[in-house]
Parts: sequence; structure tokens; C-alpha cells
Amino acid sequence: MGGRNLVRGIEDRIFDYIIYFFLALVGLSAIFPLLFVLSASLTPFGEVLKNGGYILIPKTLTFDAYKELLSQARIPKAFGVTVFITVVGTFINLILTTLMAYPLSRKKLPGRNFLLFIVVFTLLFNGGIVPTYLIVKGTGLINTIWAMIVPNAIWSFNVLIMKSFFENLPEDLFEAARIDGAKEFRILWQIVLPLSLPVMMTIGLFYMVGHWNEFFQAIMYVTDRTLQPLQVVVRDILLQNSDQLSANVDNMVPTVTMQMAAVIIASVPIILVYPFIQKHFTKGMLLGSIKG
Amino acid sequence: MRKRFIGSIISLILMVSLFLVACSSKEETTGSSTSDSSGNGEASENIELEIISGGNNLPAPEDDVIKQELEKAIGAEVNLSVVSSEYDNQLNVRLAAGDFPDLFAVNRQQILDFSKKGLLLDLTPHMEKIQSVVDFIGEDNVTKAKVDDKVFAVTVPPQIPYNTYWIRKDWLDNLGIQAPTTVDELLAVASAFTQDDPDGNGKNDTYGITGGVLNAFQPIFGAYGVGMPGSFYLKDGELVNSFYDPAMKDALSTIKKFIESGVVDPEVVTNTALQHQQKAFQGQYGIIYIDWPNITKEVFVEQIKTVNPDAEWIQLRAPEGPAGYFDGTHDIGTAPRYYAIPKELEDDPAKLEKVFELLNYVSSDKGSKLVQYGVEGEHFNLEDGKVVPTDLLAEEGAYFWLYQFTGRPEMEYLKTKFAAQEEYIEYAAEQPRIEALNGFVDIPEGYNPADATRYYEEEIIKFIYGERPLSEYEDFVATLESTFNYQAMLDAAEQQLTDKGLVK
Repeated sequence: MGGRNLVRGIEDRIFDYIIYFFLALVGLSAIFPLLFVLSASLTPFGEVLKNGGYILIPKTLTFDAYKELLSQARIPKAFGVTVFITVVGTFINLILTTLMAYPLSRKKLPGRNFLLFIVVFTLLFNGGIVPTYLIVKGTGLINTIWAMIVPNAIWSFNVLIMKSFFENLPEDLFEAARIDGAKEFRILWQIVLPLSLPVMMTIGLFYMVGHWNEFFQAIMYVTDRTLQPLQVVVRDILLQNSDQLSANVDNMVPTVTMQMAAVIIASVPIILVYPFIQKHFTKGMLLGSIKG
Repeated sequence: MRKRFIGSIISLILMVSLFLVACSSKEETTGSSTSDSSGNGEASENIELEIISGGNNLPAPEDDVIKQELEKAIGAEVNLSVVSSEYDNQLNVRLAAGDFPDLFAVNRQQILDFSKKGLLLDLTPHMEKIQSVVDFIGEDNVTKAKVDDKVFAVTVPPQIPYNTYWIRKDWLDNLGIQAPTTVDELLAVASAFTQDDPDGNGKNDTYGITGGVLNAFQPIFGAYGVGMPGSFYLKDGELVNSFYDPAMKDALSTIKKFIESGVVDPEVVTNTALQHQQKAFQGQYGIIYIDWPNITKEVFVEQIKTVNPDAEWIQLRAPEGPAGYFDGTHDIGTAPRYYAIPKELEDDPAKLEKVFELLNYVSSDKGSKLVQYGVEGEHFNLEDGKVVPTDLLAEEGAYFWLYQFTGRPEMEYLKTKFAAQEEYIEYAAEQPRIEALNGFVDIPEGYNPADATRYYEEEIIKFIYGERPLSEYEDFVATLESTFNYQAMLDAAEQQLTDKGLVK
């Protein structure tokens, strides 16, 4: 934009075009697999087979796979479960992570190093599956929706990221707030949080994607069919092609069309969230808070 | 310094209490709905049976008619849950944590392991309570779940074999050749399929034979009277292991000949699950070793016809060789699954009764029809005592088998549910096969089947691809015996099969 009033050489422009070309190529290669999934989900399976398994632009469209998937009660239900654990879970994650990271970022917190050590320790070591299962069972969370939220309510790594973000906020801000009579909670709520939108969004997205892809805890802690999240159900549909099950005469092997439709249903909602959060990734951290 | 220390303790306590508050408030609201596995103090009218097994495609409870009907029949809640590939993990964690389901699927190895740890209920003293189950599955099958004369599980009776070679009849017709009946003819036809452009598209894009790894060659091993690598079987009344069968080398060299002439799917050893099926449907392979459901069920026929309306697959009898013809190896000792009850359930007789009631019910005439064919009047109708399925069965019946805790009368079941495929079912079931006894042999200590299997499969593939000369076959067997301790397996097989009276 600044270059508008400068005379630009023809080489510059060629150079730009080459860059555009390569970027477009990289962009296409990222879209290609997604396009394949989408097209395969919309094409009758016979058509897919006829073309050797690859379809980029479907010739005949069919929404049968989506209709059939959504007509089963378990997919909409699983969708509800996943949305619940994603929204509520991310909310709880962010509150707890902030409440942990903020005190740890204050240098004058007594015993800060010891607490930090505890946090880092859990990053490197954990109790293993069986003891964790015992705790989840002991707290009565087994077979409840909370079993997929509470055990991972705080991820230590995110605490560290958030903590170092808070540490980078200028000390002057805190001093100014304190001089005006603000107490710790007010500083956190009115000074720190508004400035921390980028890190909140980033970490929120980490948590959110984690919840959306919830699988392991659901398999381990939840046997109630009505509480299965989307990924468990989708995997159930996709995996029917495995050796052991294909030997079963009753098993209805879903076509590639069905499988791809399940993939689309499971991944598109979370992909749609990205563009809204992306701007925060690139935004400067402290736009306009300190002048001079 | 001291002040800092106290401060750190205080903040730690605060943090911990924050967690506890967060957890306990949730527990209050939702904890009450969890199943109480200890079961004491529970009112008997509200018994909840939790059943877990491997499997998939179980619908939501309100769509699950079998669940509803079973609950009506036995007067207890029946909560089945299935996971596919993570099942063993899930089961191990739950058993290790002492959180037992009331009925769970296991395999033979798990019966051995778990019963040794005292986790499984010994059913022997309860045998008369599950008499209908015993009558339904037969004494033979009860025996399969025995460890030291104690029955630790309910055996799901074995299935009949489904696999055969299938060949493209339209290709045979295009080339004007006959279906092969001997191994030599099989090679000739496979070569013709590879080189003579059987689909008439003018491109050299076809192959003779495909299948899932070594299974593609099952009938060729059979033609030499050799079981698949690793199998134990009887030959002239003597127990033989396939690696020591003198005909094994002949079989391998014949297979090598097939591969050398380029008539075999070049990716045959990497075909997993049903990849070979998809490839065959795409029209590049003329002969495939596959089970009838995966090539004759309506959905698949439709797929085949969409790709090529002229494509016609027919069953091909196993080729004849020096030992006659055998359509591969079929293990007569295995069972697809077993269902075990945790020992802990002894302390809850009311619940245990319900589990027995459930098992008896699915073994009774009425209950067994329910878990096979669904609800009478909806999924099937009875005409002169014969089950006639409706369209709804084909539509909804894909998950019913998950409730067949005591199996089903296989032949009758298949013929009823897959009436259109009857001739293929019978044909596959009638084929002579080498009857392997591996299922009767428990893995001995000191032998790691996973390692050994990986080793011998790799080496067999090297032999048939000519990467290792067959003259080194004896070295291979020697390594298998010593390094992989296959000798332990051989001794165990000999002893256990003799004890069971299967070998004299």
C-alpha cells in the first residue's frame, strides 16, 4: 500500500505473481483433501467406485447420506452432547485457568515457585489411567456428562502460556490501577482481562477444539449411550470397516459416502469457528494501552 | 522467609478447596444417576444390568427395540454399550479399577487371565440355573469356556465358514475359457485375466488374484493339504503343525510361481480390512478370496452393478492339487466371543438372578427369536412356524447380533435373514476345509504369539516373493523354534490336545 506512489519495476511485479502463484498452490493443496471429503459425501457411492475412489467435482449430487445420518436419533443427540461439553467445558476451563494463571503471574505471590513446581510437575507426570479412573469413579462422575469436563478442567500447559502473557503486561498498568484504589479482583476483571483477549481466544480455542474432539474420556468414563459425544459416534460409523467387524454377517458396512458425510458433520462446525477467532491470533497484544 | 512459607501453604489450601467445591457441587447434581455397582440396598424392582462388549452401530436407546423388549421380558433395565477398537482398553481399566459391568464380552485369553486373578464368577455351581443356555449352545461349547474344569463364561457358538474364491464369470465368457479346477488351470486363468484384457477396454490394467494378505492363497495351501501358517491340524490321525508339514515347501513354491508370473495383486500383502473388496468392485481383479456377505449382500451387488452392469461374480471351487481340494483352513476350536460375569456379583444375588434370567431368555425360543429377527409382527411374521422377515428387518436389524449373548442357530439364521443368498451360504458351508485345532490350545507361558506371528508372516511373505530362497526354510523354522520359543507352543498343543482327547 505504501508502495503505491513508488515506481515499481516489472521484476517486482513478476516476483509478486510468482509468490501469489506458490501461495495459491499451497492453499489449494490444503483445500484438496477437504474438497475430496465434501465431494465424496455428496456423490452416490457407485459413482465414487467407478472413478477409482477419487472424486473432486461430483457429477450427480445426493444428500441421502446426510439424510440417513441425521435421521438416526444418535447423531443429533451426540451433537447436543458435544456442543454442551464444548461450551460449558470451555467456559469452565477459561475461568479456572485464568484464576490459576493470574496469581502465578504476580511476582509477589508467596510460595510462587513451589506452586509453579506443582503445575509443571503435572505436566511431566500423571497418575496413569487406572488411578485417574478411580478418582473419576470416586467422585461419582462416571457416566455423567461432567466426566468429560471436570477431569481436564485445567491443562497445565495453558496455565503456563497464560501466565507468561500476564507477566508481560506492563507493571505500570497495575500500579496505576492500584493508585486508583482497585483491588486484585477488580484489576483482574477490568484491567487484565480486557487486555488479554488474544490469549483468551487462543487458549479458548485450544480448549474448545479439545472438547469438540472429545473421545478418550468418553470411551473410558461414559458407557451411557445417550451421553456419547459426536466423535465417538462418528468413529463408530467410520470403523465398521475394520477386519474383525467386517467378518460379521449382520454388520452393515457404510459406504464411503456415508463415512465422509459423518466426517463433514463432525468437523464443519468447528472449522466455522476458526475465521472468527483468527483475527485475534494476529492482533497486537497491547494496542494503544500505553502511550509514549 | 517464614511468612512466605505460610503464605504458600494458605494459597495451596485455597486452590485445593476451590477444586473440591467445583467437584462436589457437580457430584450433587449428577452423581445420583450413576449406576451403583455394589448394588447393596438397591430396591429389587429397579435392577439395572450393565453389559459391555466390542461392536458398533448400536442405535440410541429410544430406537433400540431389542433393549425395550428385553427389559419388558426380564423386568430389569438392560444397558448395553459397545465400543469398537478400544474395547479391550476399556475393559482392562474397568476391571483394574474394580468397576465391574454385570456382563462383559471376553476372548479365550482374557478368560485365562481374568480367571487366574479371581475376577470372574465360576459358573459351574450355577449350571442348573442356566440350563436353557446350556441346551441352546450345547455341551461342546460350554467346554470351550472351561479353565481347569470350571466354566468361567458363556460361549457364543462358532460361525460357519463364509469364504471361498469368487471369479468374474463375464471375464471367463469374454475370453471364452472355462473356470479353473486345478492349481495349474488357476494359474493359466489368472494369467489370461492379467494379460488378455478380459474387460476389453484395451488397457493392460487387470490382475488375476487378490485377497487379504495370505488369505488370497488359502485354497492354494489347501490344494497341498497344508494349513495356513501357524495352524495345527490332523493328518492321517497325527497332529501336524503347518510349518512342519512336508508339503508346506511345495505350497510356498507354487504360490511363489503365482507371484512371479505377475498375476497377483501387487498390493496383496498390504490389503487391510476390505480394501481388496473395493478394488475388486472397481473392476481390476478377476478372482478374489472373500466371504459371501461382502460380495452378495444387496448393497454390494448394487455397487458392483453401478461400476459395471455386466460384472458377474460366481463362487469358484477350490483348485485341486496333490492333496485334493480344500477351501483353506477353518479353526474349529474358536468361538467368536464369550460373555463373563464378574465374581463380585456373587454379593448381589438379586442382580445375578437377573443376569441369568437374561441369558436364559435369549436362549429360549421366544427370546432367541427376538435377538435374531426382532419383534414379531414388525420385523418378521410367523407363517406355519417359519420365520418370514419383513423389509423392516433388513432396515433395522444390523445391530441385533450385539444382543445374541448365546449366539444363534447359525445355518437357520443365515438362511432366514439372507434368503436371497441361500445358495452361496450353503456352498461356502459345504466346502471341505482343513480343520485347524488352534482354538483348543491355550497359549503357553514363555511364548509370545504376537511377536512370533509377526516374524513368521514376514518370513513367509519373503519366501513367496523370492526375497529369501526356499532353501533357507529349515533355518527359518529353527529360528522360530529357538528365538521365538515356538517349541513351547508345539509342546503345549500336543499336550493340551491329547488331554482333551482330540489327538490320540
